[in-house]
Order: sequence, then C-alpha cells, then structure tokens
Amino acid sequence: MTAEPFFMVATLLFSLGLIGLISRRNLFVVYMSIELMLSSVNLLLLTFSRLHGTMGGSVMVLLMIAVIAAEAALFLAMIIQLVRSRRSVDSDDFAQLKQTKEPL
Amino acid sequence: MLENSIFAILALFLVGGSLMMLWSRETVLSAFGFLVAMLAMAGLFALLENSFVFLAQIMVSVGAVVVLSLMVITSINMKEENLPSEPYKLRWMLFSALLVSPFALLMYRTLVHLGQTFDTSREGYGTLKGLGGELFSHWVLPFEIVSVLLLAAMVAAIVIARKEPKQ
Repeated sequence: MTAEPFFMVATLLFSLGLIGLISRRNLFVVYMSIELMLSSVNLLLLTFSRLHGTMGGSVMVLLMIAVIAAEAALFLAMIIQLVRSRRSVDSDDFAQLKQTKEPL
Repeated sequence: MLENSIFAILALFLVGGSLMMLWSRETVLSAFGFLVAMLAMAGLFALLENSFVFLAQIMVSVGAVVVLSLMVITSINMKEENLPSEPYKLRWMLFSALLVSPFALLMYRTLVHLGQTFDTSREGYGTLKGLGGELFSHWVLPFEIVSVLLLAAMVAAIVIARKEPKQ
C-alpha cells in the first residue's frame, strides 16, 4: 500500500469542500463543506504520520478533532440565531454587516 | 491486495457521500451524505493503523458533530419552499470546479513528491498507549489550550443561541 491514493483522496475531498463552499447557498451545506475540508487535512496529517512512523501527526489530528467539535457547536448556534431572526437558511439573507451608502 | 480493495470501497463511499452532500437540495439528505463521508473517513483512519484516532473520529465527528447537525436540521425543519432557490447550482459548481482544479492538481503533485511507501509500522504505533505518551510528553500545552478553547466554545454557543430576553 502506497501513500499516493491517500493523497489523491485528500486532495479530492479538499476540492469538493471548496467547491461546496463557493457554489452553495444553503448555510448547512456551507458548514458541512468547511467540515469536509478540515477532515481532509486530518487525513493528510495521518498519512504523513504513518509515512514518518512518528505519532506527532496523530496527536495533532486528535487535537483537530476537538477543534472541529468546538467549531461545530459555534456554527450551529450561529445558524440557530440567524434562523430565529430571519426564518431562512439562505446565506445571501445575512448581510447585516454589509456597508450601505445611506447613513444609519 | 485486500488493503487496496478496502481502500477503494472506502474512497468510493467517501467521495459518493461528499457528492451527495454537495448535490442534494434537501438539507437532511446532505447531512446523511456527510454522515456516510465521515464514517468512510474513520475507516481510512483505521487503514492507516491509527486505532485510537479511528475511535475518536467515530465518537466525535460521527457521534457528536453529525448527530448534532441532524438534530438542529430536523428541529429547524425548513419547508421545501423556504430553502434558498439555487437555479444555477450546476453552473456554479462547474465554474468553481474549474477554478479549484489547478490548485488541486498543484497540491496533489506537491504531496506526491513528499513521500511514497509506508514502512512497516514500529511497535506501539497508533495505539492508545503510544498516543497518550506522545500527547502528555510533547503536546501538553496544545492539549491544555484545547481544553480552554472547548470551554470558551461552550459558553459562546450558549450565549449566541439563547433567546433574547424580553425588553
């Protein structure tokens, strides 16, 4: 078993996540695309850890999983807050911070 | 040989799940595609002989993150007509794929140059004992920082998601 297919899958996953992030407007899909990109980085870290035979990459993945959990909690709380104020999951509806020409 | 076929099946599920997540209009179907992708990812972790990271992936990414997302999606329960209308979804996807593909090619070519074959793993690689030893000897500070981060995220999630008090 060589490392090449793992690299291929990780690259493919990262690209799919980026495509989802750019092209979809549903907030949940955007969130899951970000998670997918994070997970592909995890896969890369583990592949390198296995290549070099040291555990550093695995430990980093373990810490990354904790960061992913924190990120998920925050993102979902934000989506709940946005849905409560606008009844929508369209990312185009949430531009409250956009600069407008007229004075506030 | 067996490893290669297991890898092929897992990669198929991984890419299929992510495509389902990207493509489906229903949010719940997207979440199920994501669930399949995360499970296959855990399988790949096991194939890389990291048994504890495999368990952590199953417990946290599949058991906590995806289930929490599914709970939020079903409790919000968006109606079909309230979902964002995306009439040019295919065009957007093709265009962004065009944008992303050179970058992906660059990344792949770079990665392939960095290493090729796996050695036979040394004694104790990927086990809970090896991981714990590494974590609590060289990675203590990041571990502590992660605990503070989790606490901050918990407090922030509660503060953001709670109802505004009546004026």
